[in-house]
Amino acid sequence: MNRRSSAGLMPSDSASGATLHTIVAVMSFLACLALGGVLTLSRLATQWTDGLSGSATVQLMASPQISPEDQVKEALSLVTQWPGVLSARALSRAEANALLAPWLGEGNLIDELPAPQLIEVSLKPGQPIELDGLARKLADTVPGAQLDDHGRWNAELAGFAASSAAIGWSMLLLIGLATLAIIVFATQAGLRTHREIVEVVHMIGARDVFIAKEFQNHFLWLGIRGGAIGLVIALLTLLGSSLLWDSRATPVAGQYLPQITGSPLLYLWLLMVPAGLGLIAMMTARLTVLRVLGRMQ
Amino acid sequence: MVRFENVGMRYGLGPEVLRDISFTLEKGTFHLLTGPSGAGKSSLLKLMYLAERPSRGSISMFGRDIAGTPREELPALRRRIGVVFQDFRLLDHLSVFENVSLPRRVTGEQGGTYRAEVEELLQWVGLGNRLNAKPATLSGGEKQRVAIARAVVAKPELLLADEPTGNVDPEIGARIIRLFIELNRLGTCVLIATHDQRILERLPATSIFRLAEGQLTVTKPRDLLMQEARRA
Repeated sequence: MNRRSSAGLMPSDSASGATLHTIVAVMSFLACLALGGVLTLSRLATQWTDGLSGSATVQLMASPQISPEDQVKEALSLVTQWPGVLSARALSRAEANALLAPWLGEGNLIDELPAPQLIEVSLKPGQPIELDGLARKLADTVPGAQLDDHGRWNAELAGFAASSAAIGWSMLLLIGLATLAIIVFATQAGLRTHREIVEVVHMIGARDVFIAKEFQNHFLWLGIRGGAIGLVIALLTLLGSSLLWDSRATPVAGQYLPQITGSPLLYLWLLMVPAGLGLIAMMTARLTVLRVLGRMQ
Repeated sequence: MVRFENVGMRYGLGPEVLRDISFTLEKGTFHLLTGPSGAGKSSLLKLMYLAERPSRGSISMFGRDIAGTPREELPALRRRIGVVFQDFRLLDHLSVFENVSLPRRVTGEQGGTYRAEVEELLQWVGLGNRLNAKPATLSGGEKQRVAIARAVVAKPELLLADEPTGNVDPEIGARIIRLFIELNRLGTCVLIATHDQRILERLPATSIFRLAEGQLTVTKPRDLLMQEARRA
């Protein structure tokens, strides 16, 4: 019996309702992808920079002033005694070749190239280190030695991550604004379509907030339903892209391109998209109805 | 309860559709409003149920000057007025029960508190078996009875009815009029706009308002005048 008195005062328009659901679903889909992209890139950038800032590389170019063996020995001796260095080790020829293999392929070419000898340096976490001093000392005492502290990479990655995040957040902002504009139009259209109902309810003694509540509830659920549809499509897309970029199929891309799926936190954030769209739709509808009704007698 | 003083009304920049309207309605009185089509009956009713504001003059409802009443306080006044619209103005997507419950629902009442009253009222107007019907499936007479039930369900202090017996058969019409008389006895001030000669001749009205070309004349029925003459 209670169902009788709880029916919505505004009829659910199946035609315009379907269109609005589709538009909100598309907005949600785009928002999920943008948010997924922003969060994944932020996470990857942190991983990359953390990995790079905890290490440095010494390159030893062949020099006529010193034999390769002495060059390695002196460089290792200097580096391991430098304050803040955890450990250092010279990469074998096979390890160096493996690093170049993705670009140059495996074969005799690598062996023929004058590739530098590499020393991998691990730094003590959380401990300051005078890398510029180490670089100068190396250059002065070990002929052909060069220290790469990954600073350039770090700066480029940080810049890349920041600009990507800015693009992602801008997209989210634009999607939010577009959703807001759509809901304003839809609410105004709803008020025009149901003007008769609004007038009758108004004449019967309904306060503006009562009528606004009817509209805002309608749009809250529209936002959540449309948002959920968009979220599901976005998840399927992300899953599909992760399968396409599977590292087993494409080892190089799999190693360096971002894998968007995988973080449980990411999914929690994505769940916020339908809720956010519902909230935007609800508040927009409420304010629009109150503004329009405010002009009535 | 209702006081109009030199009220004039025009739509936009058009000519005045009501001119120098003055009258008062007291609690528990019964009034009839008649006049040819286009005389301004609907406009007068709109002013009374606060759908329009006058272009000039002053209107006082339930002791409140309407011109000085803030917009947000008008719903509380409207809830004291029941209106039967000539075109019923039922909400087509709601059932008969939901339509009639509307005045109670907009006040924030929960369904459980008024369900029995609404069902009893619908029994009274002969629609006890159509609670879940949608207006589109009702005849003109049935729609009119739903509109009347909606107007009286909140026991208004002022009931305004625009041609309430226009679409019903004589038996139902008589029943509706009895309902109005009963409400009036309980203290509701009733004003019925009608062309129905049977109502005009038979109803024990306190006064008859005749509108012609936007101007109002108020007369008392012959039997009432005779009663007053005898008393004098």
